[in-house]
Amino acid sequence: MAVGESPIERPGLGARVKTLFLSQEGVLLVIAIVAVLLLSTQTDRFLTVDNILNQARLMTEVGLVALPMTFIIITGGIDLSVGSTFGLAAVMLGWSWMNAGLPLELTIFVALGTGLVCGLFNGWFIVRVGVPPLIMTLATLALYRGLALGISQARSARGYPEWFYQLGQGQVLGVPTQVWLLVVATVIAAIILARTVFGRAIYAIGNNELGARFSGLKVDLYKLLIYAFSGTMAGLAGYIFVSRVSTTRSDMGTGLELDAIAAVVLGGTSINGGTGSIAGTAIGVVLIQLLKNGLSLAGLKGDATIVVIGAVLILAILLNNYIQRRTGAAA
Amino acid sequence: MNRFSAWASRPYDRSKPVSEIQPILVLTHITKQFPGVKALDDVHFEMRPGEVHALLGENGAGKSTLIKIVSGVYRPDAGEIRIDGRPVTFNSPHEAQAQGIATIYQELSLYPELTVAENVFMGHAPRTRLGTVDWAAMRRQAKDILASLEIYDLDVNRKVGTLTVGNRQRVEIAKALSLNARVLIMDEPTAALTEADVERLFHSVRLLRERGVGIIYISHRLQEVFQIADRVTVLRDGQYVDTRPVSETTEDDLINMMVGRTIDNLFPKLPAEIGDVVLEVQDVYRRPSVRGVSLTLRAGEIVGLAGLVGAGRSELAQVIFGLTPADSGQVRVNGQVVNIRHPGQAMQLGIAYVPEDRGTQGLVRQMRVRENLSMAVLRSLVSGIFVNRKAERELAQHSIRQLNIRAYSTEQIVNKLSGGNQQKVVVGKWLASAPRVLIMDEPTRGIDVGAKAEIHRLMSELAQRGMAILMISSELPEIIGMSDRVLVMRQGRIVAEYPRAEATQENIGAAMMSDVAVNNNNHATEQAEMPERAAV
Amino acid sequence: MTATTQPVTPAPASFAGRASSLLRPLYSSQEGVLLLLLVGLIVVVGTANPRFLAQRNISDVLQNTSYTAIAAIGMSMVIISGNIDVSVGSLIGVLATISGQMAVSGYPIWLAWLVPLFFGGVAGAINGFFVAYLRIPAIVVTLGMMSILKGGLILWTGGAWIYDLPEEFHLAQQAPLGVPMPVYFMIGLTIVAALWMRYSPTGRAIYAVGGNREAARLSGINERAVLMQVFIIHGVLAGVASVMFGTQFTTIQSTVPPGLEMVIITAAVVGGVSILGGTGTVIGSTLASIVIRAIASAMIFIDISPYWLQAVQGVMILLTVLADILRRRRQIRLIRG
Repeated sequence: MAVGESPIERPGLGARVKTLFLSQEGVLLVIAIVAVLLLSTQTDRFLTVDNILNQARLMTEVGLVALPMTFIIITGGIDLSVGSTFGLAAVMLGWSWMNAGLPLELTIFVALGTGLVCGLFNGWFIVRVGVPPLIMTLATLALYRGLALGISQARSARGYPEWFYQLGQGQVLGVPTQVWLLVVATVIAAIILARTVFGRAIYAIGNNELGARFSGLKVDLYKLLIYAFSGTMAGLAGYIFVSRVSTTRSDMGTGLELDAIAAVVLGGTSINGGTGSIAGTAIGVVLIQLLKNGLSLAGLKGDATIVVIGAVLILAILLNNYIQRRTGAAA
Repeated sequence: MNRFSAWASRPYDRSKPVSEIQPILVLTHITKQFPGVKALDDVHFEMRPGEVHALLGENGAGKSTLIKIVSGVYRPDAGEIRIDGRPVTFNSPHEAQAQGIATIYQELSLYPELTVAENVFMGHAPRTRLGTVDWAAMRRQAKDILASLEIYDLDVNRKVGTLTVGNRQRVEIAKALSLNARVLIMDEPTAALTEADVERLFHSVRLLRERGVGIIYISHRLQEVFQIADRVTVLRDGQYVDTRPVSETTEDDLINMMVGRTIDNLFPKLPAEIGDVVLEVQDVYRRPSVRGVSLTLRAGEIVGLAGLVGAGRSELAQVIFGLTPADSGQVRVNGQVVNIRHPGQAMQLGIAYVPEDRGTQGLVRQMRVRENLSMAVLRSLVSGIFVNRKAERELAQHSIRQLNIRAYSTEQIVNKLSGGNQQKVVVGKWLASAPRVLIMDEPTRGIDVGAKAEIHRLMSELAQRGMAILMISSELPEIIGMSDRVLVMRQGRIVAEYPRAEATQENIGAAMMSDVAVNNNNHATEQAEMPERAAV
Repeated sequence: MTATTQPVTPAPASFAGRASSLLRPLYSSQEGVLLLLLVGLIVVVGTANPRFLAQRNISDVLQNTSYTAIAAIGMSMVIISGNIDVSVGSLIGVLATISGQMAVSGYPIWLAWLVPLFFGGVAGAINGFFVAYLRIPAIVVTLGMMSILKGGLILWTGGAWIYDLPEEFHLAQQAPLGVPMPVYFMIGLTIVAALWMRYSPTGRAIYAVGGNREAARLSGINERAVLMQVFIIHGVLAGVASVMFGTQFTTIQSTVPPGLEMVIITAAVVGGVSILGGTGTVIGSTLASIVIRAIASAMIFIDISPYWLQAVQGVMILLTVLADILRRRRQIRLIRG
């Protein structure tokens, strides 16, 4: 049917609602709602304002890092070094304050700067030298962690002033400070990915990088930006974490990449690139936090929850593969 | 008739007359259909032992589909394959290999980090009595195979990754011999070779022939056919044209068979006023494909750029468009010298490039029609920092109407469209950037006749409105029908230029394929009588 | 990779012919460079602090490096095949605990030594299944496995160490002929693995699958079976490593040294196993393990804080990867002419 003959139809509202719910995001939203209901009936410690807000506070670090990770995985890349960048930023924060005497107020820039440099380092080699992202960020995972260990000499920094602690534990209008930050960052990221030229380019790169290049999109610049963004967010998350726990240790952030990647993949982003959304990642982050909360309320030690996260990652990919095959992803 | 073909056409077993030799491989009534296009229609092919059988045809004639059927990559929809008289079916390339059919593709399938000897024998290495890999035997046998091809200067212990293309090809030939191949398919083997390498390749081919191996030789270079082949089969538009002994044919005959067809009104060329020069290319080099190209393009004119695969046309276009940098040379747009380093820059200057491979270069197939149509001009559809969906949709609708793209909505995934409509999307994407210079690389390849006509009509209209169009095409009727001027490119240089009135299939074909120097006034038939042919 | 032009200590005259032709490729190979690095380290640090070369220290270094080297053998195979495994560190922890628990619970000692190999193989098979048959990228599968094993170990042991291990359990503490037992395992397994990778058709198929997966399939190689075998062998070797690890001290900790998998991967990569797949040798990875441990030891003897070791390892892996990528790009440019 030639288009000239009848008006171009937009899919009806009913059809749009249907595709929304059959997507991975839709399935997850349902699971999240079910999880909330389940948890609130199983224990009365769950559905308290205190608990909810605290959980929101706890998931900020993963949430912030999962945002750029979404962009990166959509382009078909990956960033394994976020946990190590997090740790290095924390160490640099501590070092600059304790050893270099920098006023604590300025250390935020140190953390962000460290993250930015780490991200740019990754991005430069990935874009200009052509090192595959997996390999580059695996190497920097080791390098950045090693630097953190070396600079800190495995000593931890303590004795942060009270106001610093309040930053990480404080509230604005009853909601933890960093949660506001996370919400704002999520909204901005979602808008950028869904509505801007940059966002469109990210999807194009993930589906057909060559085609994107031939269409005049600035592929190299955009790729550099997302890795820089990833490093910076890791630095920011590190800062928030240090202020929240009021110490600095070189092993902080270990395993952060696992949580972030699991959240992104759970949220419907294909590990092969080309599809995904911030909304999905957000639901993924929330779900994982709910999971952790549920497990700890059930008496399971914090360390042990990573078992579940690991299983979730593998299951999420299987789910993703299955859904993609069912919806006949572009043959 | 040249001095090579007399020597070259001696049969394998000289005691038997040619007509009595049992063919190894016979294909009859082969038909193969792909969505939207019939690649092969009732094609015949036959291969004798100890013969070099050339397979000729333009791009899209069906050659590569045919050899993929022979090598087991595709199964024919109809027709029969017989080996030594027995009918066979190949369910996989491996089965074809087991029957003695080996293929050397342009993208060689070798392991760069492993040695020559191991590459030759991977998967079927000689074993010791204990069942372990016998390296000494492997090296020895590899050397023997190379020696049988009279190759004595290739060290079997070298990593393949360190070899030149010519040597890698010899490794592939040795690999085929190690599998006791009886039929060897060579697809454009000389495309990336130096002259010396080509000579060595021919030497190997002749040795193989003496051993009784049958060789299917695909090449666009006609002089090679006369140098090395015994028989030649020509395909055109998926159909079988003829098979002849090389000694009984001439270049002109072959060209005619390959391209000759009636030119109907597929080419509604409207008269257009030709204006000022908008694009000037001077002495541009981009090694190894572009070696000193100069051309000019005027507003309102359609310049056809003809040439064979590997002539360097797409590479030239990509240099002009800023996808790859030039080694040297100058480009001028509207008289101003420019240094285009990025497609974005080219677009700003009013240049657009519709690439050759719409699937991998022209489109992001998993995305929607709307998203593809707007991809080049996203920046201009922005309000604030957001993409203005409404403006984007309107642009898409406009393009759909303008080009008569058959899609049921702007939201359809491009992958679901037919080839012709996909091509229209690519063209539409670039028209949205309102270019003054439009470079179209194989604009109607692989699309149906109706869509072809539409695109040609569009090109005419655009030219009438003052656009300068550089049309790269391997289809001579299209070149002849649509161009105001025809440029012929071969091996990185422009070797001929014909105004519309003098552009004939013979002239252009000869300039594309023959080695002889051509200028506007000569006819190819005169050159056919020249006794010397330069070695490739 | 840069090759120096200094010859290695010349071989004794009685082996002149074949030995010198064997030595020549050392100059330009990764293994050769490592050997030279090791020699250089011995010379430089040995002169700065002769205690570095004491019998006791050399024995220590070799013993400590053994379990890493053994695990690196399997990791090399995995990487050569074009994959990776970041779960091996946690796996070693789990297997060592299994071994210890069995010993403490009264099972025969030899069983306590063998069972980890079995479970290691099972873990490898699970990874291999996901990678080869379900086609999930190895990085993601093993990332998930790593946390499952790490958390599982903590859940199981509750953080408690294992004490009261029977005397006979400590295989790694034995030292026949004065050489620590783990060293025998390290050298023995390296040789066996090297021979297998070089002389068995499956061993060669690993190189093919990692080098050019498509071509391997066209050559008739069953890549899924090959990948399964690789992962299973890797798991079993991790089992051996875990026994070496678990039997060296009088207690078994509830965790493994953090970052163990990165050390193992670093050993493989620095040993010449290209992370892009298709090339490398287990001899290289064993040599690299020794060099890395020697560097760690050297750092102590010349008074550099050992906390910089991880950073040094990180730099080593980065440089090796970069050199490899640049080398390949130069090769591609050579073809384009």
